[in-house]
Amino acid sequence: MLTATGRSLRSAVTAVLVVLVLAGTFVGDDDDFPFGPFKMYAGRDDPNGLVPDTRVEAVDSSGRLRVVDESATGLRRAEIEGQAERFRAQPELLAALATAHARLRPDEPRLVEIRVVERLYQLRDSRPTGEQRELVLARWQAP
Amino acid sequence: MAGAVSTSTAARPARLVARWPYSPAPLARIAVLRVIVYLFVPVDVLLTTAWVNGHASVPGELYVPLRIGRLLPLPTPGPWVEVLQVVLVLAALAAALAAVRDRLPRLTGWLVAVLYFEWMVVAMSYGKVDHDRFAFLVALFVLPSVGRAALRSRDRTEAAGWALAVIALAVVATYTLAAVAKIRFGGWDWVDGATLTRAVVRRNTPLSEPLLDVPVVLHAAAYGVMLLELVVAPLLLVRWRDPRVTWGLAGLFLGFHLMTFSMVTIIFLPHCVALLAFLPLERLVPARSHTGAVCSWREHPDDGPRERPRR
Repeated sequence: MLTATGRSLRSAVTAVLVVLVLAGTFVGDDDDFPFGPFKMYAGRDDPNGLVPDTRVEAVDSSGRLRVVDESATGLRRAEIEGQAERFRAQPELLAALATAHARLRPDEPRLVEIRVVERLYQLRDSRPTGEQRELVLARWQAP
Repeated sequence: MAGAVSTSTAARPARLVARWPYSPAPLARIAVLRVIVYLFVPVDVLLTTAWVNGHASVPGELYVPLRIGRLLPLPTPGPWVEVLQVVLVLAALAAALAAVRDRLPRLTGWLVAVLYFEWMVVAMSYGKVDHDRFAFLVALFVLPSVGRAALRSRDRTEAAGWALAVIALAVVATYTLAAVAKIRFGGWDWVDGATLTRAVVRRNTPLSEPLLDVPVVLHAAAYGVMLLELVVAPLLLVRWRDPRVTWGLAGLFLGFHLMTFSMVTIIFLPHCVALLAFLPLERLVPARSHTGAVCSWREHPDDGPRERPRR
């Protein structure tokens, strides 16, 4: 049997958890982790709209153009997308990815140019039409 | 959480709700769940969320602290994250050993909970928050509250019942409130959008790619997901007279996660671990009677009338 204190404490914890998670769901945002809304795939995509797919491309000091994945920059695709607006407004922030790459892959040639590229797939009636185009969202070049 | 529907249907609903989290549950289930949870932490930290370590190399200007990181004096991630990874793995292994030996459950458990939480804060502070580990975090924080729980114990306590009830609530909330979020962010016509098509375009597998040519399947799947999250998930909280219903529901959701993984390579692995709290895990270890003799788990009224004693 729980003591009266033990039970009150647990009831209070339960109530606080329920209130926080409900508040997060109805008025919160990702910033409120771990109580933010469970918004995995919660957005609605237009069946006749565009599906974006973002990648990071870089030119290294040997002149080679390559796609750099999360293990080479320390940031996942979704994180690049989450910060895309910042990169667009301040492309010089991409220098930080070059620094991260130099730390994570010290044996590879340095990255001297980085681009955040978005490929857009056209949908019609929830079906890819095969049409696609690419946009460079942000670009940084080593000084 | 297998158990019979309450016999006291005459009790007022409010009292029933107030009593629901305190229905005594086997201490052995807590012990087994602790071992599984603490052994999963190294798997997660070294394999499934090993990418968090990459944040140690990312310069601070790309760190976007969450509210909790702004409220608490949490340090900006840097090389210390690699140390955190090692310490967390060692702490989790120590907690698993402590759970097996039934020693220091609170100290070792809450240490892992706090360290893992910080690992998660480092994970989620770079522009993307994942939603697959709420129930696992809740499990890490409530499991130590039970205190000592021996693997071979045959006792049931209210403290164990509360911990399992809170984990159960967190698991169900992850589904049901995900449906609410879809309505909040996507609108009532979320089900008629192309969200699943988007998911498959971005993360397709050989199994899911052909579905892009048959939009009706993904459209129907959107209705299926909404129904599963909003209507079926709460059924997990019911204490069914026949425990096979709970098995079936838990199996259904584990299958749902496997299917999602086969389609878009996203698996809610920590959440799946928390889902195990619904199952009679205590049967994995033979219980020891009060006289010290090893015996099987015997039928308990809460296990439902159709349960057969195991030999």
